[in-house]
Amino acid sequence: MSKAGDWRNYKRVLLPPVKDLHRLDVYEANEGYRALREVLTTDKWTPTSVTDEVKKSGLKGRGGAGFPTGLKWSFMPPVNPDVPRFLCCNGDESEPGTFKDRQLLEYNPHLVFEGILIACYAMTIRKAFLYVRGEFADWISLMEAELEKAYAKGYVGQNIMGSGFSCDIVIHKGAGAYICGEESSLMNSLEGKRAYPRIKPPFPAQKGVWGYPTTINNVETLACAPLIIRNGGEWYAGIGAPTHAGPVLYGISGHVNRPGVYEYPTGMLITDLINEVAGGMRGGKKLKALIPGGSSTPILRADMIDGVTMDADSLRAAGSMMGTSGMLIMDEDTDIVSWLRRITHFYHHESCGQCTPCREGTGWLENIVTRIDEGEGNLRDLDLLIDLCSQMEGRTVCALADAAAWPVRYTIDRFRSEFEAKCKPSLVASGLEMATV
Amino acid sequence: MADFIKHPVVELPERKPEPVIPADQLHFSEDEKKQIQTWISRYPTADGAVMRALWLAQEKFSFLPPEVIQLVADELGMPYAKAYGVATFYTQYFKEKKGKYVLDVCTCFSCQLCGGFDMLHYLEEKLGVHKGETTADGVFTVQEAECLGACGSAPMLQITNGTYVHHLTKDKIDALVDALREDKVPAFTSVTLPQDEDEMGGNRRTDVAATESYGVCPVSETTR
Ligand SMILES: Cc1cc2nc3c(=O)[nH]c(=O)nc-3n(C[C@H](O)[C@H](O)[C@H](O)COP(=O)(O)O)c2cc1C
Ligand code: SF4
Ligand code: FES
Repeated sequence: MSKAGDWRNYKRVLLPPVKDLHRLDVYEANEGYRALREVLTTDKWTPTSVTDEVKKSGLKGRGGAGFPTGLKWSFMPPVNPDVPRFLCCNGDESEPGTFKDRQLLEYNPHLVFEGILIACYAMTIRKAFLYVRGEFADWISLMEAELEKAYAKGYVGQNIMGSGFSCDIVIHKGAGAYICGEESSLMNSLEGKRAYPRIKPPFPAQKGVWGYPTTINNVETLACAPLIIRNGGEWYAGIGAPTHAGPVLYGISGHVNRPGVYEYPTGMLITDLINEVAGGMRGGKKLKALIPGGSSTPILRADMIDGVTMDADSLRAAGSMMGTSGMLIMDEDTDIVSWLRRITHFYHHESCGQCTPCREGTGWLENIVTRIDEGEGNLRDLDLLIDLCSQMEGRTVCALADAAAWPVRYTIDRFRSEFEAKCKPSLVASGLEMATV
Repeated sequence: MADFIKHPVVELPERKPEPVIPADQLHFSEDEKKQIQTWISRYPTADGAVMRALWLAQEKFSFLPPEVIQLVADELGMPYAKAYGVATFYTQYFKEKKGKYVLDVCTCFSCQLCGGFDMLHYLEEKLGVHKGETTADGVFTVQEAECLGACGSAPMLQITNGTYVHHLTKDKIDALVDALREDKVPAFTSVTLPQDEDEMGGNRRTDVAATESYGVCPVSETTR
């Protein structure tokens, strides 16, 4: 059952249908910076009450892990005027299959800025870094122009709207490394170091960028903050699935007729998303499998998605995760083994090389899957791969090793026959593979 | 011992290879120095500006040989080794000379399933190079890229860390290569949202000349 209610008549809020909304004057005419003004200039709002409102809304992080945002904000230590604190907005968006943040930054950048400022107010932060991946160079230039206008109008910078609250936003341009999306790696990257993830604890709220308390949130997460202030936490909590509320940007790619970024409530039926929203399968083909939320989330076979909705609970029960809600749809002609080979190559390329299980493990995953894909593998390789995954998961500094292992583990688990079919035929047929290696 | 370090038995190799940028060109202009100082002022320490400064240096010198990294390090007052560590960590900083136009074809994940490898192979054949190589005339370098965050408009490529070209086809590649030979780099293209087409008749950015709507991806012939 869909948890998205009357989604056909859903009114978009993150990307409302307004021409030129990226321009400051248009944004202002459409309630832009109203939430910020209210927060800064009325007595109703204090840092605590803003955080409480976000808690009430049930907003969960849209960066992949789905951590409750209000709770994350409340982890910041008590304010000490001598100790600076920072906010990082994570616009690295390098998870394969994810392209929603780019559209949000292009079409509604001021909503992101406003969200950053509200979050900064809630945590009494005076400086925020918006980390955007270097490949988005064009979008960075566009955003910088808009940010300059917001500065000129006094929405950002010193003494915002005469409230005494000051906050700067710095757009940081990355240079092409998936790992920079990981929060502690992002912090090292900001500091001008090699982007190696850090061991946690200490968590960013205790020791973040330059050793100071830091909070990190995804672009889409922070863009929700002004909406929550404008309309109230209860309104937000009433959208979509009760346990994973809110509007969400679904990035649908692959073998569908109308791929793209769509805004709908959480809790949409996957079948609705494919057949109605994205215009059905390309060329009338049958669905074979899909990835619900970016390359790290486990693959789902077509027969596993009956009644499954896009929210954390339903996807967990189905054996996957919400991730970044970047959905890849694969039709019946897809070669799953070749596909897995390319994705193992991705993780091998992107491992930062700090931990042995990850640096070596991702390489071996690629080698072995490549061997199978070339028809040189044997049946024992499949168990070897699963064993290798177990050696990687949970034994490294950051979650990239897990993210690399899961696609392999679950794809083999759910499409084992396809892998077996690519293994050396003579050995499969004779069952002699154990004796020959 | 100290003597041994001062006069090694085996001749130690030079720390850095021969500079390729002539010494008289190896400096930042006053404007560039000012720009770097502005970036430095935005971070708690000067090191934070190293990525921006490297970007600036790469735009100026087209790639980052050791002497350029040294220049950046000096400008920021950070150790060479640290700046070198940063420059070598990220794929977008070019450590060796590339063609005038670097074509990064995405073959990852969605693009793979939507014909990314077809496009890469076509480009390789057309230009007579393998991925990672530069054409003899020094105009094009073809590279295989990881997901560039434009999976909905797959297959796609990026031109020298800049403009995205969405919805690649062989015709589009032909036209692109011809245009780039005449130094006509395509303009920024805005990809519209499908819901906008339904609700407001298309592109929402009236200030962008070139737009493209999402469309059905081609059937891929090769997946590796
Ligand atoms: C390997 C790896 C890559 C990640 N990449 C991204 C990313 O590109 N964008 C993002 O927002 N979060 C990414 N994350 C998640 C972040 O670490 C972090 O959880 C998130 O930005 C928190 O924001 P949220 O609470 O708003 O979701 C990544 C995590 C890992 C382990
Ligand atoms: S798990 Fe991999 S990416 Fe993460 S810190 Fe270790 S080596 Fe680097
Ligand atoms: S897979 Fe090519 S842009 Fe994402």
